[in-house]
Amino acid sequence: MTLVMVVDDDQDLAEMLGIVLTSSGFDVDLVSRGDEALEVFRNNPPDLVLLDVMLPGIDGIEVCRLIRQESMVPIVMLSAKGETQDIVRGLEAGADDYMQKPFRDKAELIARIRTRLRRTNADVTGLLTIGDLSIDVTAHEVLRGSQKIALTRLEFDLLVALAKDPGRVFTRDALLSEVWGYRHSTDTRLVNVHVQRLRSKIEHDPEHPEIVMTVRGVGYKAGGPA
Amino acid sequence: MGARRKLSQSLATKVILSTVMLSLGVISLTGSALYSRLSDGIRQVSLDSALAESRFTFFNAQYQMLLSQGDSVEERKKALADLIISTTTQSSEQSRREVIFIKVPGERKTKVSYEMSSSLIKADSVPKALRERIQKGTDLHYEYGDLLSAQVNQGNTLFVGERINIPTAGRYEMYIAFILTSQTETLDLIRNSLLFTGVALIFLIGMITWLVVRQVVRPVRDAARIATQFTQGDFSQRMRIESQDEMATLANSYNEMAQSIEQQISRLENLSRVQQRFVSDVSHELRTPLTTLRMASEVIYNQRASFDPLVARSSELLAAQIDRFERLLEDLLEVSRFDAEVAVLEPVDFDVVALINRCVKDFQVGELDTDSGIRIDSELPVVQIQADIRRVERIMRNLLSNALDHSEGKEVVVTILATDTEVGIGVRDFGSGLDESALIRVFDRFWRADPSRARVRGGTGLGLSIALEDARLHNGELDAWGRPGLGAHFVLTLPRRAGDAIEGRPIKAAPKDFHEETFYL
Repeated sequence: MTLVMVVDDDQDLAEMLGIVLTSSGFDVDLVSRGDEALEVFRNNPPDLVLLDVMLPGIDGIEVCRLIRQESMVPIVMLSAKGETQDIVRGLEAGADDYMQKPFRDKAELIARIRTRLRRTNADVTGLLTIGDLSIDVTAHEVLRGSQKIALTRLEFDLLVALAKDPGRVFTRDALLSEVWGYRHSTDTRLVNVHVQRLRSKIEHDPEHPEIVMTVRGVGYKAGGPA
Repeated sequence: MGARRKLSQSLATKVILSTVMLSLGVISLTGSALYSRLSDGIRQVSLDSALAESRFTFFNAQYQMLLSQGDSVEERKKALADLIISTTTQSSEQSRREVIFIKVPGERKTKVSYEMSSSLIKADSVPKALRERIQKGTDLHYEYGDLLSAQVNQGNTLFVGERINIPTAGRYEMYIAFILTSQTETLDLIRNSLLFTGVALIFLIGMITWLVVRQVVRPVRDAARIATQFTQGDFSQRMRIESQDEMATLANSYNEMAQSIEQQISRLENLSRVQQRFVSDVSHELRTPLTTLRMASEVIYNQRASFDPLVARSSELLAAQIDRFERLLEDLLEVSRFDAEVAVLEPVDFDVVALINRCVKDFQVGELDTDSGIRIDSELPVVQIQADIRRVERIMRNLLSNALDHSEGKEVVVTILATDTEVGIGVRDFGSGLDESALIRVFDRFWRADPSRARVRGGTGLGLSIALEDARLHNGELDAWGRPGLGAHFVLTLPRRAGDAIEGRPIKAAPKDFHEETFYL
């Protein structure tokens, strides 16, 4: 069974999320305080974290940062405020995706969770080379020489999506649908923030990227093998 | 023109100039009056003394001649010469005197002529009028004139004359010429002093005025500068109070006004902050329970097949109303953000034609229950613009949904036209249309064209009002056109670069197929 940890201070919403997730076949761990979240996370590592921004104790963005320090688990932020700064701060703290309350419907929530748990690019296997990086898709490993680079699942998916077709320009919309599984969304901040994070991990100089390159006014593309 | 503008611009220049002009008038009037009084007095004094001296000299001459009754011609000539010498040499250097003897015309000729003059003075320098008067009687007369001599012509000379009898030679005219050089010099000196004093006075008055005016004008200038800074938003500026005068009163009143305005503004700012906080809190507080409600109603709704019909229908109504409530909440929050002026533009580059295509496709998927269709009429396959894509998409959804609501099943046409700087998007329906009064209110919040009409799409009544705010946030514009029975046309005009202003409308609000003349026929 897949375990989802739900961190939300609203008891009723947490219970409701529990009902919905359980009925969709997930195991659920409910946590109501930010400062308790990390302990529960360590004791019983979940497969995915649903994290509210406003929490008693430590706020959700800080919790996200702490979890990210020790795990590459997918994190989806739940935001009630819907203000840009909150969303961007959450993504920068390491969240993979965010959902704005109220959710459009139950199906949307489940679909997002499933996308984050599933391997995207399931058709790609074997070894990809891009720049001086080698990507072992099957083993879910990125190597520079013999040195392993730790990427979150989403960052890995983003890199593979670009690397499997080097030189092809992906629009932000295309990446949103391929990596995040959105049918359509106009929120390109997701892509921008994650590209920045990916670059900070894989590029020699993130200011002058050579692996994930920006195509002005269009989107991104991967540089060819070195 | 330029000088006049400068004059009216500077209070100081104006005051100084008019003061100087007025004092110039006053000083020249008093100066010339003083000068004429002084010169008259001086002339009178020297005339009086000259006349007294002349009387004595004439008397002396007549007396000498009486004494010389029996003398020889030589002795008499000598006596006359002595007389001339004593008269001309007693004078000081400043006031020279000359003596002239002329025989009265018409006297019988004699052997010996006693006509003589000192310093080779020409006899014809004596004024004619004076000579005529002297010839007529024995009285003393005087006249001013020019003294002509062999060497020089001496101006401003007083001639005093009398008739005397010279024994054996008959009647002679005797003249004493007083050369008034010193008087002229004195008068010149007085005039020059007066002129100099006048000029100096005017200069001093100008300086004093400047100093005084500066005292008044400087605070006024300061006040103007401070008021300008205040206008530009620096509310902390205050006028300095350095005295107890009217300027201080002005400064005091101004400072009190500034203080009160500053307080008002900070109070309003505070209110606005409270408002923003409130909006944000309401947002958070309402969204969380709404999320729970929504999911709960969905769980119930999904089970409705197992309920009895009334409960099943209730669950449907519950789900639908939660949807509506959520849309209303979102719209209200958006409106509050515009009111609190916290709405920010997040511009990105995108293809507006692709965006519209996608919006239209979404509507067509959801439009299976009605047969209305949306047609896109664009000659341009791609129009790249820089704008807030989320807001532009919302405007398009609002316009399309509004058009479909009122299209009465007829087609809806979307036109896209672009210039180098603007893009125009027109959404036209051919439904019931709008009349004049409706056009005025169409962007008002919660306003409905026909309150009795059933709501097909369940709009919140805020859509067009938000669309207008969204357009204006882009420096763009949303225009509405409508005629009863002919449908409506909403035209969105946006600058193609974020931050630019729009200079024209690629699409006019009145549609091409409409002609005002034919409509009213």
